[in-house]
Amino acid sequence: MRAVVQRIAALFRRRHLDDQLDEEVRGHLDLLAAEYERRGLTPEQARHLARRDFGGVEPMKEVYRDRRGLPIVETFAQDVRYTVRALAQHRWFSAVAVLSLTLGIAGTTTVFSVMDAAMLRPIAGRNVGGLVVLEPRRNQERFILFNPEFEALRGRTQTLSGMFAVAEQPFLKVEFPGEPPSYIAASLVSGTYFDVLGVTPSAGRLLTASDDRLAGPDAPCAAVISDALWRRRFARDRRALGSVVRLRDRDCAIVGVVKAAFTGHQAGSVPELWLPLRNVSERRVLESQTQAFYAGVMGRLNPGVTREQAEAELTTLYREIQALEPPLPPTLRQPPKPSELSMGVLPGAAGMGGLRRQFGDALAMMLAAVALVLLIAAINVANLQLARGAARAPELATRLALGASRWRLIRQLATEGAVIALAGGLTGVGLAIILTPRLASVVFGARAASLDLSVDVRVLLAASAATMLTALLVGVIPAVRLSALHSSRRLPLGDRSRESPGSQRLMRTLIVAQCALSLLLVTASGLLLQTSLRLSGIELGFDSGHVVLLEIADETPGGSPSFSARETPDTRARRAAAYRLVDERLNAIPGVQSSSLSWYGLFSMNDLWTTLVDPRRTSDRREARMNFVSSLYFDTVGMRLVRGRTITEADQFEAPRVAVINESLARQRFGDRDPIGAQLTPDFPGDEDRPVTIVGVLEDARYNSLRETTTGPMVWLPLQQAVYRITSVELRVQSGAEAAVSQQAAAVLRSVNPYLMVRRSTTLADQVQGTAARERLLFTVSTAFGGFALLLAAIGLHGTLAYKVARRTREIGVRLALGAQRSSVVGMFFTDALALAATSAAIGVPIALAAGWSLRAFLFGVAPRDPLTVAAACGVLTITVLMASCVPAFRASRVDPVTALRSE
Amino acid sequence: MDEVPYGALDLMVLKTLDGMGPLHGYGIARRIEQIAEGSLALNQGTIYPALLRLEQKGWIKSDWGMSENNRRARFYAITRAGKKQLSIESDLWSRTLAMMSRLLEES
Repeated sequence: MRAVVQRIAALFRRRHLDDQLDEEVRGHLDLLAAEYERRGLTPEQARHLARRDFGGVEPMKEVYRDRRGLPIVETFAQDVRYTVRALAQHRWFSAVAVLSLTLGIAGTTTVFSVMDAAMLRPIAGRNVGGLVVLEPRRNQERFILFNPEFEALRGRTQTLSGMFAVAEQPFLKVEFPGEPPSYIAASLVSGTYFDVLGVTPSAGRLLTASDDRLAGPDAPCAAVISDALWRRRFARDRRALGSVVRLRDRDCAIVGVVKAAFTGHQAGSVPELWLPLRNVSERRVLESQTQAFYAGVMGRLNPGVTREQAEAELTTLYREIQALEPPLPPTLRQPPKPSELSMGVLPGAAGMGGLRRQFGDALAMMLAAVALVLLIAAINVANLQLARGAARAPELATRLALGASRWRLIRQLATEGAVIALAGGLTGVGLAIILTPRLASVVFGARAASLDLSVDVRVLLAASAATMLTALLVGVIPAVRLSALHSSRRLPLGDRSRESPGSQRLMRTLIVAQCALSLLLVTASGLLLQTSLRLSGIELGFDSGHVVLLEIADETPGGSPSFSARETPDTRARRAAAYRLVDERLNAIPGVQSSSLSWYGLFSMNDLWTTLVDPRRTSDRREARMNFVSSLYFDTVGMRLVRGRTITEADQFEAPRVAVINESLARQRFGDRDPIGAQLTPDFPGDEDRPVTIVGVLEDARYNSLRETTTGPMVWLPLQQAVYRITSVELRVQSGAEAAVSQQAAAVLRSVNPYLMVRRSTTLADQVQGTAARERLLFTVSTAFGGFALLLAAIGLHGTLAYKVARRTREIGVRLALGAQRSSVVGMFFTDALALAATSAAIGVPIALAAGWSLRAFLFGVAPRDPLTVAAACGVLTITVLMASCVPAFRASRVDPVTALRSE
Repeated sequence: MDEVPYGALDLMVLKTLDGMGPLHGYGIARRIEQIAEGSLALNQGTIYPALLRLEQKGWIKSDWGMSENNRRARFYAITRAGKKQLSIESDLWSRTLAMMSRLLEES
């Protein structure tokens, strides 16, 4: 122990201790020489004999130093110093090496950070390893779980110790005492929620099973708030407990505050209010087999139970329950057969995993792409190192000859690799810290704000793993090559023309690997490019330019929030009047060309399919999408009329009921007959189940998804004749007026009815683009990295060839002197390059085809194994390879035979 | 002349310092040579790593002083721990030697 301390101390006083040893040795020699002189020898002889008696001074010092300090550390420090000097001398090499590794490591770290924040980080519960997510499936596809099924499962399961359901309310309108209504992110949860997750309060108490009972509107109701809300609205005052938060028709008393660390049951949504699900829901809705279903169900495994056991048990139960429950009403187009159903039990440590479901695949693809780039970058640096190492063979041989041990040289080269990797790693992590929030906001949009994007241990581990892997590749390959140099026992001083074929082969293999991997990325980006083009080239059937979209919630008290419930004619009339006024005033805003109100907006992910019955043949009941819109809707979104007329001001509540349909519906229901004047009856509960007369046909359009392969049938009814609460306002504006108009429109809505609240404001173009964001993102990433990978391959190839030219100068000189044409020298290099491209393609194409297949879920309008794309990628690769060979080939052809021969 | 057996040099240094008091490296080397009377091939330089080793173990300590030719020199002296180690090692050596000679005589 004492020796270790002294040794470490010695590291820092090395210079001083060296001086002391020198002095001691000098004194020793002097005394010894003096002794010999006393015996009558001349000073020279005495000095000579003294040195002989003493033995080798330098080897002794070497032993002494090793004994004194920590030799590994010291030689490492020496290696590092040497490396830094060597790298500083080769600025271009160092810059390319460090930069490419930086980008590779930054890319992998960034994507991993985002994945980590969105789906890997455990939620702040107790013993989260026992948590599981339940995923109902129909034919292996995600399905929905209705409340009666959930309750039956919860009552019967033996494998889970607890289960809870969550219904998300990202915009719940609430009123705190003495404040205007506002929106808050809320979760309606089972009473067992906090207990199953194992969350503790920071004040008061949390919800329990007894809070979560069916109750009337006047029954007491408990609410739990987040620590952030407690801080923001109550300044952490304990008097917040017991104060009342007003929902649409309920008053709930705040009973507790969740501890600050708990930000919700999944990444990407941070609820601020938790309410007991059953307590605030209507009995009718909960008991129905069609209405209340859940965004997510989680549970906790009983000790000793595996997920597989739970999966088996719950699947059996889920199927049994189907047999007991009454069959689903025909609104669900095809009721599931019990055998189609199963219950997946997934790990729940990271929570419900909404983001994972949505973006997991895309992020995994991206991680694969960036990891591939890192691999290519590392191979590239290794290759450049190898070329450099071969060029440095004389230097290394000299050092060997001067007595450096072979291990010392290998260590030296490995250190170079490590230093480059470390530099790349450090700058890479730095860059990743900057890039992570950007990537997150590109991927998740507004939801990125609620993610914790701080760098955590796992991210750092991943980054260091990436760095270490790189160091290994970059350092070890040249080092292995060096040991080959040693074992050949040659002293290749000045011998440039004979290079071991082994290193040639290795360099070539590395280049081929690089090219093959680049081919994969280029193919992927080609496939995604076509997807993006196809998606953006899709004929929308409406004009998305300069249209402002407002997502609205009509929170007017009274009436029923649910679609199917009956409302009094009085409520309807009041609402119709308000909407007429809103419509008028919106159209009067300066800069607005036309404006409309609608039940739901285009590409809003809302959809309603309803059955349309032919009144003359009631057996003909087929479904169509349905929307309720105000009179200027079609002008505003720019849909084109084919026949008849659109909805007008005249189509008021008292006027005859009319409808406008699209071409698909016309074709489907009427074939060649003229649909104008024909009648259809929408089959839904309420007082609208009277026939409507078709007055117009519109050109088909895309309504909700770019990927929809065929346009479905659609019908529009006048909003004034079926006055449901609107969720969307559209405004066609003059170019540049978008922002101003959207503010004025919000003000207009407030002035007519303060309960008409704007949740979100966007443009129609953005709304449409947003649905293809994932594809565009993948395309951008794969193109950027594919290009980068190609560039790296080109640099690597250029470096190798340049080295080859330098090495073969003499041979080329001889050829030229013997009468070879310069063009044949150039040809030699190009043939070589083409052979290389061909080898890379032979290896890369199967890999690229496999990669295309794994991308299939993201592709649109292009086959995953599209031969044209693969061929184009091969073409790009070949061109790159040829271009990289140009300069070295040209240089080779300029070799002057006389100089080349003389130089040896 | 023969190599110094492993461990013997340490013991020789400790014994020398124990018997003669503080000495510099040269003095120790000379003393060992005298005792060996030419039966030992000792590069005098090799005692320095040995001295360092002993010092790291705390068996000897060193201090700078003046040598006989009025130069700064490092003087080594045995410590209490060193004396204890010396007695342990000498015991070990004598017992090993006795055993070895018995073994060699018998066969």
